[in-house]
Amino acid sequence: MVQVQARIATHESKGVTLLLIGTALLYLLLFLGLPLFAVFYEAFRKGWELYWAALQEPDAWSAIKLTFIAAAIAVPANLVFGVAAAWVIAKFEFKGKSLLITLIDLPFAVSPVVSGLVYVLLFGAQGWFGEWLSAHDIKLIFAVPGIVLATIFVTFPFIARELIPLMQAQGKEEEEAAVSLGASGWQTFWRVTLPNIKWGLLYGVILCNARAMGEFGAVSVVSGHIRGMTNTLPLHVEILYNEYNFVAAFSVASLLALLALVTLLVKSLVEWQAKRSGEPLHHG
Amino acid sequence: MSITIEHLNKQFGSYRALNDINLEVNSGELIALLGPSGCGKTSLLRIIGGLDVADSGSLLFHGEDVQQRDARERNVGFVFQHYALFRRMTVFENVAFGLRVKPKKERPSDAEIKRRVHELLSLVQLDYLADRYPAQLSGGQRQRIALARALAVEPKILLLDEPFGALDAQVRKELRRWLRRLHDELHITSIFVTHDQEEALEVADRVVVMNKGVIEQVGTPDEIYATPASPFVYQFIGNVNLFHSRDHASWTGQHGDAVAYTRPHDIDISHVQQDATALPVEVKLVRAIGSVVRVEVSTQNSSELIEIELSRERFELAPLANGDKVFIRPRQIRVFETGAQHELSAA
Repeated sequence: MVQVQARIATHESKGVTLLLIGTALLYLLLFLGLPLFAVFYEAFRKGWELYWAALQEPDAWSAIKLTFIAAAIAVPANLVFGVAAAWVIAKFEFKGKSLLITLIDLPFAVSPVVSGLVYVLLFGAQGWFGEWLSAHDIKLIFAVPGIVLATIFVTFPFIARELIPLMQAQGKEEEEAAVSLGASGWQTFWRVTLPNIKWGLLYGVILCNARAMGEFGAVSVVSGHIRGMTNTLPLHVEILYNEYNFVAAFSVASLLALLALVTLLVKSLVEWQAKRSGEPLHHG
Repeated sequence: MSITIEHLNKQFGSYRALNDINLEVNSGELIALLGPSGCGKTSLLRIIGGLDVADSGSLLFHGEDVQQRDARERNVGFVFQHYALFRRMTVFENVAFGLRVKPKKERPSDAEIKRRVHELLSLVQLDYLADRYPAQLSGGQRQRIALARALAVEPKILLLDEPFGALDAQVRKELRRWLRRLHDELHITSIFVTHDQEEALEVADRVVVMNKGVIEQVGTPDEIYATPASPFVYQFIGNVNLFHSRDHASWTGQHGDAVAYTRPHDIDISHVQQDATALPVEVKLVRAIGSVVRVEVSTQNSSELIEIELSRERFELAPLANGDKVFIRPRQIRVFETGAQHELSAA
């Protein structure tokens, strides 16, 4: 009698499976795990006291505050913009729609340094509007408003990009049903549209926030690196590192690494919740 | 509430969705808009409901122009093909939605809302599902909840877009009888869109047949079936045989270039030649389908196939077999000149 063993066409032998998993793990360890470990290792190398001291130093504090201010303005601004843009793109037909979608993607396509330079060109002392701005005593470049502007620019695709496919897939029938039942535009948005996109929106906010806090290139160009005034966390790390102050540099960097870990955790939680509530996310 | 539509036009880019539509819907009537996909029936329904705007023409509810009124101010219930239930709300909240969004002074109390919602859920026989979410319901249940939701605001007009289109055949049949009964109870002026002729003929008081943005015929189901006004209606409603005047001049009459239409069940078969107009044919296929027997015959000199339907009793009186030489003669035939025929072949 011949024994027929059931074999699934896509089934690999155990050795191949292990080899594939092993390669992936090794790769992750080498390029993600090791650097992350290095950040914390270097930060704590000279002990807790120096770590704390580096974080409590006034310039570091000011960088932390500025980073939070920039994110606290950029994220809500892009929240409003992202929802509005996704709403018009997904629910209405109009001329120039694909142009609008392309424009939303622009910050992804352009190098952040270039977008920073554009702001300098427009609003800097020698820029197009520089004279007018200085005549009215408004300082954008090498000041906090410029950093906020650059952060908004770099992060504005995140929320819109997350919502557009989601809202397009959901269609506009529910909104039409709400209107035919007598709901106003506002009521329709709050009661029907927003609950339908809440997980996607939260997901976009998390990504947007992570980028807003971590942005280096564009902010670096418009900041002017004035210590204690126009330095965000990433810029402060660079300055400390260039001064060979490694412990302080890695201590501040560890905050950013921590932020990334928290972001990942919250992101997974949101994904899990979204899946449970039947609202599959675009990037899933 | 009656609906009057006069000279209505709608264009999407270069595509003419509605072309000079005129229609009068009486108060309390149940009307079917019937036609193939892309004929403009859904556009017309959406314009009546205020979800789309016509380019020109007038739309009156009970003699009053409503074109400037928003969908939310028209007091029209709309039932969507894919239900469009609010997925984040329970069945109860879905039905209550129209009451909850009313301005504060018109809004009923919570107790009153509860009473009304349960009343409507009992009307659609789904009271036991109040706490479920739409995703937990079957298609037929969702459609009935959608209907209850539309009825909650006591609309004067009910519009239904392919209400049974996404359901399987058995549920469809059940639901359309149920819709007819419901309409007989409530007497709301109702318009439903369908591409299914059987559905339109079974449910509606009057049927509006549309094709390529134009109304081809308006009439009772009986009129539409028995006396189609155009070749298109003839072909769209039921099966039909075509006879060109060049081959069958005796049937099309004295017309120069014309096409004659006859239904498969309006043709007599005989083993002997009754008169000079009878056509000698050969039986090619005999197939019994349920209560009818379908016979395909072909003429001797051309290969054109003619379809004939006989009742089972009639067939058993004079059985036929493949290869039999017999004579056929139409009991009823309609002739359309070929000018009109052009439109048809383009469809």
